[in-house]
Amino acid sequence: MTATSPPRTAAVAPAELRDAIREAIARQRTLRVVGGGTWLDANRPVRAETTLPVGTHAGIVEYEPGDLTLTARAGTTLAEIARATSANGQWLALDPLGDPSRATLGATIATASYGPLAHHFGTPRDMTLGVEFVSGTGDVVRGGGRVVKNVAGFDLTRLVTGSWGTLGVLTEATVRLRALPAVETTLLIEIGSATAELERARTTLRALPFVPLAAQLVDAAARGAIGAAGARDAFVVRLGGNEESVRAQREQLRSVGDARDVEPEIWLRARVAEPARAAVVRLSQLPSRFATTWCDAGRITERWPGSYRHGDPGRGVVRVVLPVDESTSNGSLRAALEVPFEGTRIYERLPTALWPALAPTAMHGAIDRGVKAAFDPHHLLNPGVLGELQ
Amino acid sequence: MSAVTPTVAAEGERHPIDAALAARLAAIVGERRVLYRTGELLAYSSDGLPGYFKQPSIAVFPGSRDEVIAVVRELARAHVPFVPRGAGTGLSGGALADGVVLLGLNRLTTILSIDAANALAVVEPGVVNVALSRAVAAHGLHYAPDPSSQAACTIGGNVAENAGGPHCLKYGVTLNHVVALTVALPNGEVVTLGNAAGESDGYDLVGAFVGSEGCFGVALDVTVRLARNPQAVRTLLADFSSIDAAARAVSAIIASGILPAALEMMDAATIRAVEASIYAAGYPTDAAAVLLVELDGPTAGLDADVSTVVRLCRDAGARDVRVARDEAERAKLWQGRKKAFGAMGRISSHLVVQDAVVPRTKLPEMLARVHDIAERYRVTVCNVFHAGDGNLHPNIGYDANDPDESARVHAAMREIMQACVDAGGTITGEHGIGIDKLPYMNAIFSEESLSAMCALRQVFDPERRANPGKVVPVHSCREWQMAPAARTGQH
Repeated sequence: MTATSPPRTAAVAPAELRDAIREAIARQRTLRVVGGGTWLDANRPVRAETTLPVGTHAGIVEYEPGDLTLTARAGTTLAEIARATSANGQWLALDPLGDPSRATLGATIATASYGPLAHHFGTPRDMTLGVEFVSGTGDVVRGGGRVVKNVAGFDLTRLVTGSWGTLGVLTEATVRLRALPAVETTLLIEIGSATAELERARTTLRALPFVPLAAQLVDAAARGAIGAAGARDAFVVRLGGNEESVRAQREQLRSVGDARDVEPEIWLRARVAEPARAAVVRLSQLPSRFATTWCDAGRITERWPGSYRHGDPGRGVVRVVLPVDESTSNGSLRAALEVPFEGTRIYERLPTALWPALAPTAMHGAIDRGVKAAFDPHHLLNPGVLGELQ
Repeated sequence: MSAVTPTVAAEGERHPIDAALAARLAAIVGERRVLYRTGELLAYSSDGLPGYFKQPSIAVFPGSRDEVIAVVRELARAHVPFVPRGAGTGLSGGALADGVVLLGLNRLTTILSIDAANALAVVEPGVVNVALSRAVAAHGLHYAPDPSSQAACTIGGNVAENAGGPHCLKYGVTLNHVVALTVALPNGEVVTLGNAAGESDGYDLVGAFVGSEGCFGVALDVTVRLARNPQAVRTLLADFSSIDAAARAVSAIIASGILPAALEMMDAATIRAVEASIYAAGYPTDAAAVLLVELDGPTAGLDADVSTVVRLCRDAGARDVRVARDEAERAKLWQGRKKAFGAMGRISSHLVVQDAVVPRTKLPEMLARVHDIAERYRVTVCNVFHAGDGNLHPNIGYDANDPDESARVHAAMREIMQACVDAGGTITGEHGIGIDKLPYMNAIFSEESLSAMCALRQVFDPERRANPGKVVPVHSCREWQMAPAARTGQH
């Protein structure tokens, strides 16, 4: 990508895609929206008559490096965006799980998926500037815009971000880019397993005068999965900035513990390390209770062979991954997942049979149901993925 | 049943003052807190934006959360439209409406909790923006969104407008700092949006509510994220002999990858207004434009960024770049910027404060266009704005009692707005649509998109009583056109 922007395409959804959606609506056929197919087994099972592939609606629509914004069709992969932007020293600071050469921008926004970089940069809601989608009523709808600040109209961008395709099929999005740090380095700090030691490390990390690009606590099993083997829990910390700043950050990080350099590929490996079949739950609480959350998550992993946990102390979230296969007993899996925890459990992946018992719905009230009814009155889009009530 | 017509209030429609309703509201909040005489209501007939005068039928000022809920329920029972209002500093006419009940939230000023360990605070909607930052200062924290009216505006109003401010360039707007809300829906039901202690699944209703301009309900409390005070701050003033050079410096700084905490521009007309006022900040009065650049963060590496910014400004043609030596000088430089609107108010009786956004690379071209348009209409534009975000505030001082001048000012503004839209920008970056920007909504959104926005509003407020007639032009709402209520004006 050069510094000149590619020609702007017409501001409508690719007609073919829009027509396919409209036809399905006209025929009242339920649709399973599929981007790169990376997260097909995530969230509740979808029961749909037809698959709507949107991955082919790909390509960068507008990229003016000086604006630090990029508009791309929903099927554009994160890898393609990374290629175009890195040529200009920029990036979309989002690293959701999944192979970036398959994961699409549309699915990332639709599922509000995020990765370790959320520690510093936030989640898709914080960097999506505008969207275009075809709603369940067949309307081509735009929310937001292409500039970095915009309060015109009600915020349809936030509404569809994380809506799992249940309100409309994303066709295009504009995102905010950042400059790539001039210098980057990744360090690993081992800590003891005692809650008090973790809490001391967490508060020390939090009190540092900088916020790392990412800070993940990984247990021994997770370390094995990402190629940083070791027996103890460890913080993997990603630093970025100008040369002087990174040098100082590295120095200051020593107050947390002994830090050693690890290869930056660790971050990519973490994105693709997940077993093909797994049950996944995120436990979240206030950051000040992170050590407790981590230990509670440990009660799940100690009950499940091959499982691991990783967490973000800044966000207060611990993610637990439990491999499953045909022989898995749903009863014992449920027992493992339901260890006592005072906080919010959000399930990402579960065997089909466990969803109704563990998390029947994400539609918690009349407003959620009203929003669904307003944008997809016939319940045609990804039916069931949020457990919406009929 | 009251005599107040239950209706979707159309523009300009007046409702009869309902003495019975006023009495019932007084029973909730006390006699002193209900205003309905014309003279008393005068102060609530306009907000921060001159040129609009809309008289509510009753103004009611609850003093507690329970009173707010009781008032909202009373209004729901009576099917009466209402407009929530914070400090009345809005710049889009958002808290104005004829003949409706004005619900003032400025008495709910309690900071309910401060959780320094998690950098969170829970506040009532009437808490003044700067009061929150002051209250958490001892913990080394502050509330990052800092609209220029922060000494007066309320968090509730900030939430309604998704307010920004100079430091939003680096720290994000209100949306990025609201974690959860408790809201009284227009029907009186109280709901919690978001999760103050963790993640949420389901739809991002916090995101939908922030910036909904009082159309989705009334925030009873807001959980906000606080920002840590930076270890070091450097504030620079760069002085340019042409606006174009200053605009090019802005583009160069943004493109360099350095993310300043704030990057503000003021043109010659603004500088002169500020320097002639009590807010004189020591800006060079012979400059065509100045940039106020703030860099913050850890001390290490900060001065390297300062040097880069200084070099980029000089390369773009800056005559001088000075770095504030101490906190007093820094505060003075900022006071000039934040009080610029006030300083302009000394010069003319009326001031249009405009708000639009363009892609940042288009700034030089757009400022030249604004200049041309101003010359053609013989009006004086003062530009003082968030250059780093491409968020323009072209302001025009004028005498509203001069019909010829008023007409020229409004024509110039329309042309400036259209130029911003044509450049790929938008019609408001932080002030909201209110009533002022309604005519421009069709310029950036299709009928289908506007209709989708109406559908969203309908979910929160099926009777369309909360801040009626705002944000989306009523004619764009196809459901509303079909609804019998909209046709007959009755339920």
